[in-house]
Amino acid sequence: MGIRDKGLEIRLGAVQRRFGERIVIDNLTTRFAAGEFIAIVGRSGCGKSTLLRLLAGLDAAQGGQLDADGRPLKETIDDVRIMYQDARLLPWRSVADNVALGLAGKRDTARALALEALSQVGLADRAGEWPESLSGGQRQRVALARALVHRPRLLLLDEPLGALDALTRIEMHRLIERIWREHRFTAVLVTHDVSEAVVLADRILLIEDGRIALDQTIELARPRARGDAAFARLEGQVLERLLTVRALEQRNQIRGRVSAIRTDEVLAEIEVEITGQEGRHDKVVSTLTVRNLHEHALEVGSEVLAVFKSNAVALALVDGGVPDKTAKRATAKARAVA
Amino acid sequence: MRETAILPWQRLKTDIQRRLRGRGALPWLVPVLILAIWQIAVQAGWLSTRILPTPWAVVTAGWRLLLSGELLEHLGASTARAASGFVIGGGIGFFFGLINGGYRLAENLFDTTLQMVRNVPHLALIPLVILWFGIGEEGKLFLVALGVFFPVYLNTFHGIRSVPPDLIEMGRSYGLRGWALFRQVILPGALPNILVGVRYALGFTWLTLIVAETISATSGIGYMAMNAREFLQTDIVVLAILLYAALGKAADMVARALERRWLRWNKSFLAA
Repeated sequence: MGIRDKGLEIRLGAVQRRFGERIVIDNLTTRFAAGEFIAIVGRSGCGKSTLLRLLAGLDAAQGGQLDADGRPLKETIDDVRIMYQDARLLPWRSVADNVALGLAGKRDTARALALEALSQVGLADRAGEWPESLSGGQRQRVALARALVHRPRLLLLDEPLGALDALTRIEMHRLIERIWREHRFTAVLVTHDVSEAVVLADRILLIEDGRIALDQTIELARPRARGDAAFARLEGQVLERLLTVRALEQRNQIRGRVSAIRTDEVLAEIEVEITGQEGRHDKVVSTLTVRNLHEHALEVGSEVLAVFKSNAVALALVDGGVPDKTAKRATAKARAVA
Repeated sequence: MRETAILPWQRLKTDIQRRLRGRGALPWLVPVLILAIWQIAVQAGWLSTRILPTPWAVVTAGWRLLLSGELLEHLGASTARAASGFVIGGGIGFFFGLINGGYRLAENLFDTTLQMVRNVPHLALIPLVILWFGIGEEGKLFLVALGVFFPVYLNTFHGIRSVPPDLIEMGRSYGLRGWALFRQVILPGALPNILVGVRYALGFTWLTLIVAETISATSGIGYMAMNAREFLQTDIVVLAILLYAALGKAADMVARALERRWLRWNKSFLAA
């Protein structure tokens, strides 16, 4: 147990990343203490995965600083390991050889280390098999072992449990927490599941439009029980914040009234009637998941504000008719807020 | 105790029944029937021996040539040409497949040229090849190598390109660089495609060799067949044709054995 085994302390200073015109990470500044477990939540497209790729060195920032223990993160990149959403095991290598991937030194020592890591995730008996014969949860456990075998000081988790069933996820939460407590690395978990964040994290960062919108410390005792009142309150707080669309911009908002709600098993369509200045009745339709609909408590007749991202608005000329500057057609998803 | 009472012929009968019910013997029924009809047709004089010898005559011709040592000599000559042409053409194709698949610059530089050359049927070059190399070994090697080059090149190129970028990214983030990344991630990922190319190339090898050896040679199975034609020995001509078929099949079996060994992890190849 030397300094090698301590987690990395990470500092982000005014980090920026753009893709063309679009700013994905916008002057982001924060600090992750050594050994801290950070969860990053946010809607899809908010920049959370980009942030993780920056930390992993898979992508380069265009401005700002990324430091680890006071040195540029690039220099310590060998202490950083990442777990992806899919396990990304090499199908042509046995489970043990997958775990030993990239280990320097003799084959025998590498194999012994791999077996040790596999037994930590409870899969030592599957060492000789092909990845194809494993279940999704087992593959992710192998991927975890592959990351652990390098003794990372910063472990990045890019929604690694997203594709797993609920029961397997809970098992994985326990496993990850146990291993994190043993190894004391710094962990950064990107997830869209708020309860997962509350179970695992010391701190939850909510990212919105490339900025930190909420920095919530979780001080519940570990291991955390989901049924717990304090747990539920915290989860509710973060969810609430996540669901609130900040009035991003004054433009691209239309006030209207819900005129119909259609649902099938997964998706719901909410039709919003917009009363224009000349008594015209335009319609805006918002598609969201049924689960999302229940969280919103929308009903026919509710007064709502339809908010568009500017890149989701397509304009078409109204041919033949009276030139009407307010004629808009929103083609992509619109989000409605009660 | 009743099982021990089954007589040997009963066991044989159930065995045959089982084989016939399963795929065992059934696929061989038609070929055997054709051979039988062939033999009878020639023996009865319905078919001239000038057109086709009896299957039995082909077998005896083969035996005769085997005893005289001629058969092995020609077989050896043909196999040596096939192997060396395959190694040269396949090696160059593999090399270009690797660099063009791996580097955009190489692809931009070479791929268009190679695609243009690909559209020339390599057997159409025979007159030119004879002018260049005469009727010696070089011309035949050149043709075989050219025929083998493209299937290996195209499939290697495609194989390298179809390695999932996710896996390459993963390999990089786990510290693999350069040769280690190539050997542990890119090459095994491309291998299924490369082996498909090898199998195609083996087919082209024999095809090219047949043409090249019948046009100009002093040894080899094609030469043996041409020689026999001059003396109206149809049995040897048919033997040569069957030998080519057998050699092609043998080469294909080697390729499939390689697939089974190297692609053990891939279920779709295990089934094949």
